[in-house]
Amino acid sequence: MRSFQELILRLSQFWADQGCVLQQPLDLEVGAGTMHPDTFLRVLGPEPWRVAYVQPSRRPADGRYGDNPFRLGKHYQFQVVLKPSPDDVQSLYVQSLAAMGIDLKVHDLRFEEDNWEAPTLGAWGVGWQVMLDGMEITQFTYFQQAGGLECRPTSAEITYGLERITMFLGLKDSIYDIDWVPGGFDYRSVRHQEEYELSKYYFEVADVAFVRQQLEGQEREARRCLEAGLVLPAYECALKGSHLFNVLDARGAVSVTERVAMMKRVRDLACACAEAYVASRERLGFPLLKSEVSHG
Amino acid sequence: MAESSPTSAAPGGHGEFLLELRAEEIPARMLPGAARELATRVFEELMGRGLGPREVETGFTPRRILLVLKGVPARQADQEETLWGPPVGAAYDKQGNPTQALLGFAKRAEVEPGAVQRAKKDKGEYLMAVRTKVGRPASEVLAEVVPRVVAALSWPKTMRWGDGIGPWVRPLHGILALYDGEVVPIEIFGVRSGNVTVGHPLLSPEAFSVSDAADYRARLAERGIVVSPEERKRSLAERMAARAAELGGKLVEDEELLAKLAAICEIPGVMEGAVAAPAMVLPREVLTTSLRDHQSAFTVEREGQLLAVFLTVMDRPDDPAGRVRAGNEWVVAARLADARFFYGEDKKLALSERATRLEHLTFHERLGSYAAKSERLVALAERICEALGWQDEMSAVHEAARLLKVDLGTEMVKEFTSLQGVMGGIYAREEGYPEAVWQAIYDQYLPAATGDRIPRGRAGLAVGLADRLDTLAGMFGLGLVPTGSKDPFGLRRAAQGAVRIVLEGGLAVDLEPLVQEAVALYGERLRRSGDQVLADLQPFFYDRMRYVLGLDGFAYDEIEAALAVGGLALVDLRARAAALHTVREEPHFLSIVLAAKRIANILKDAPPYPLVAERLAEPAEKALHAGLEKLRRDVEEAAVAREYERCLRRVEELAEVLDRFFVEVLVMAEDEAVRRNRLALLQEIHRVLSSAAKLTEMVVEKKKGE
Repeated sequence: MRSFQELILRLSQFWADQGCVLQQPLDLEVGAGTMHPDTFLRVLGPEPWRVAYVQPSRRPADGRYGDNPFRLGKHYQFQVVLKPSPDDVQSLYVQSLAAMGIDLKVHDLRFEEDNWEAPTLGAWGVGWQVMLDGMEITQFTYFQQAGGLECRPTSAEITYGLERITMFLGLKDSIYDIDWVPGGFDYRSVRHQEEYELSKYYFEVADVAFVRQQLEGQEREARRCLEAGLVLPAYECALKGSHLFNVLDARGAVSVTERVAMMKRVRDLACACAEAYVASRERLGFPLLKSEVSHG
Repeated sequence: MAESSPTSAAPGGHGEFLLELRAEEIPARMLPGAARELATRVFEELMGRGLGPREVETGFTPRRILLVLKGVPARQADQEETLWGPPVGAAYDKQGNPTQALLGFAKRAEVEPGAVQRAKKDKGEYLMAVRTKVGRPASEVLAEVVPRVVAALSWPKTMRWGDGIGPWVRPLHGILALYDGEVVPIEIFGVRSGNVTVGHPLLSPEAFSVSDAADYRARLAERGIVVSPEERKRSLAERMAARAAELGGKLVEDEELLAKLAAICEIPGVMEGAVAAPAMVLPREVLTTSLRDHQSAFTVEREGQLLAVFLTVMDRPDDPAGRVRAGNEWVVAARLADARFFYGEDKKLALSERATRLEHLTFHERLGSYAAKSERLVALAERICEALGWQDEMSAVHEAARLLKVDLGTEMVKEFTSLQGVMGGIYAREEGYPEAVWQAIYDQYLPAATGDRIPRGRAGLAVGLADRLDTLAGMFGLGLVPTGSKDPFGLRRAAQGAVRIVLEGGLAVDLEPLVQEAVALYGERLRRSGDQVLADLQPFFYDRMRYVLGLDGFAYDEIEAALAVGGLALVDLRARAAALHTVREEPHFLSIVLAAKRIANILKDAPPYPLVAERLAEPAEKALHAGLEKLRRDVEEAAVAREYERCLRRVEELAEVLDRFFVEVLVMAEDEAVRRNRLALLQEIHRVLSSAAKLTEMVVEKKKGE
């Protein structure tokens, strides 16, 4: 049986061996590993890229005060991006499962159609949810568009749900019962208080007026950064805004019409950042194209 | 042009073309269509090139699409081609030697100058050459046709991969292409064909070569892979049914689920798991839906009760370590624990208490909340009962309408949208509401699809109809009339449901006043009046009527003739079509239809005239008038009694006098008074002829020789 951190270690090692940049989590609240600029922006433009990292992913509305054995307001994703998608990417993925210690000779592995779409990022992709013995363990996506721009070359994105996989391999009844450290600290001792307090904050305590004001401020700031030609700070502001929007949503403070309008604003920002990013790389002469980066 | 017969397959061969495309997992929903399209397109292309195969077979698994053609001729037939050159006069010089013109023509036609012939054409004699176009080998044509067809397959959704390769459905990885054992050289998206394929990616990934289709199937079978989806379906169905029988029950049938299971595996392994005891407290609808939607699993029933077991597929023959079963049971347990939580939460609040919360649930931004809808439903459903004289059902209808939409706020329906209505019905049943009430709630979305039944019982019919009329009145009242393929609120389905409820439930009710009432119940919310709504809604209902009556076997013209009567008394309109359907082959009816068309033509622009019977003079017009007077009252009575067959049969009695009238009487007489009086007679005849349906809509086929 694998512990939570062994999974991280083995996946990190496996993808590092494939020539991936072993990146660290983005130091901002995001809803998914996809929003990390090393995915969302790097899949744009002609430059090659390979990266792997863990990303804590916050979805305030999914919080359950630490009471639900399967649902979390914050969970961890292991994210891999390979650009361009290599011919053997599917087989690499299968090897990564073996690297995690899953003996595929005794399991049932299936790839079921599941196309990913993030309207607020102007992004969509085609792929599967990967089912191991009837359980979804990975989202596998070929990025087709991000920030409203076509992705050429195409990136493959592999997102492992770390808690689920650990839990499933140990057939545990609750996320909180999985070992974080082999035979040592469990998930509960590391995370339970945080789940409870974050749920309480997002659902009951967050000051709607304050959060709304911050959201508007971040949007303004993002526009200012774009005007100043600063893509990455602009994108960070957009991400912060996106999280604040999720907080308002969990707090029940977003009406239906408001939601539609806000989602459009977030989308417009993401698209503007995407375009500005490609332009900025072009000004730099697409440096990663020239350096002929070798792929593991 | 002469044509030699196509050469039959190479010696020892059968003209077999074997094509297997291997890709990353192709979505189950797209596979059948793609296999069919590939076969059709390749077949057509070959036919067009004189290489039509004798047999076509297809197959697929998530990772491969198979096409086998048998009896493809080894090569195209040779063809003789005639080419025309310059006039003979220009072909020879004075000495009779060939000129440059002749030599040039021979070169162009690729024949020896001596083989050039002379032939008459148009006004003169010209040079002519006959050239043999050698047929191409099948393999060469296939190599040209197949890549084009494969790349152009029409997928519902495509993608690109790598450096931008594609578009196709998923990355293509391998091509097996053999014509009578020889590799057909093909390249698609940079993938080259060969004579090898692979087994299951985890269990038998090694490549192996094959010689023909039989060998291919045998070698895959050795690896447990079944390439025919029908065979996988059959095999799964048989083994699941057998297992269910062993357990003392039978499989809860679901054709759609079976097809899905067959499309998501290439090794059709049956996976059985147990449902943990605590989950068995859930209603059977919830168990079946959760297992189907989340786990693609079948349930097993015995005497109406579900057994604590589920059956699904695994893409492998066995489960040597029990891990597949353990994993599936774990997921099912987690899913059902969720469902049990929702069920428990939902039951903490009685339906009647929930009803007050509908205030916060929006039906439509501009049409208000579900609480408002519920109030309208109560009023409208009661009106329907009144119109039908269903006094005894009134209280059940009232209760059902009030609680109809309450389950939209339950956790269970948020999780399983497909259980809307059903969940409300179950909760109502468990709270002890009368059968008429809970069944009406349970059945409210029926019929949703063509094969669905209509609601059980009068209360169900009344609220089902009320719900649809309310939605249609509201949306049409906002001007949200579906156009083209766009119908975001499912209004076509709503109208079709209403039509089927009325027709199959035999509800002899006029929908017009009910629509007016439904519009009025919205009050100030709608900008359009009841009349404006009806102006759009009537043709909309008629389109659904055309479809539903068409399915019931009514001919197009019978439907049109009935609908031309107008109004929204649907049962009545169907009765008119049914009468036409019965009498249409009767000889007198045919002549009545022809007469009706003739009369309609004559009366086209005539204003109404009064008939003065005393001024009818000709025997034929008098006879017609007498015939009319004889049956007029009876026809009118039959129409009022809605006995349209009787109505039409009486009208048929006019056939002979009408025929005689048209032979002997000139309607457009010189004398204006006579002419007007005859037109007036025909106007009266026209009214009587039209009392069951607009007969001029009927299509009468003239028999040969008439």
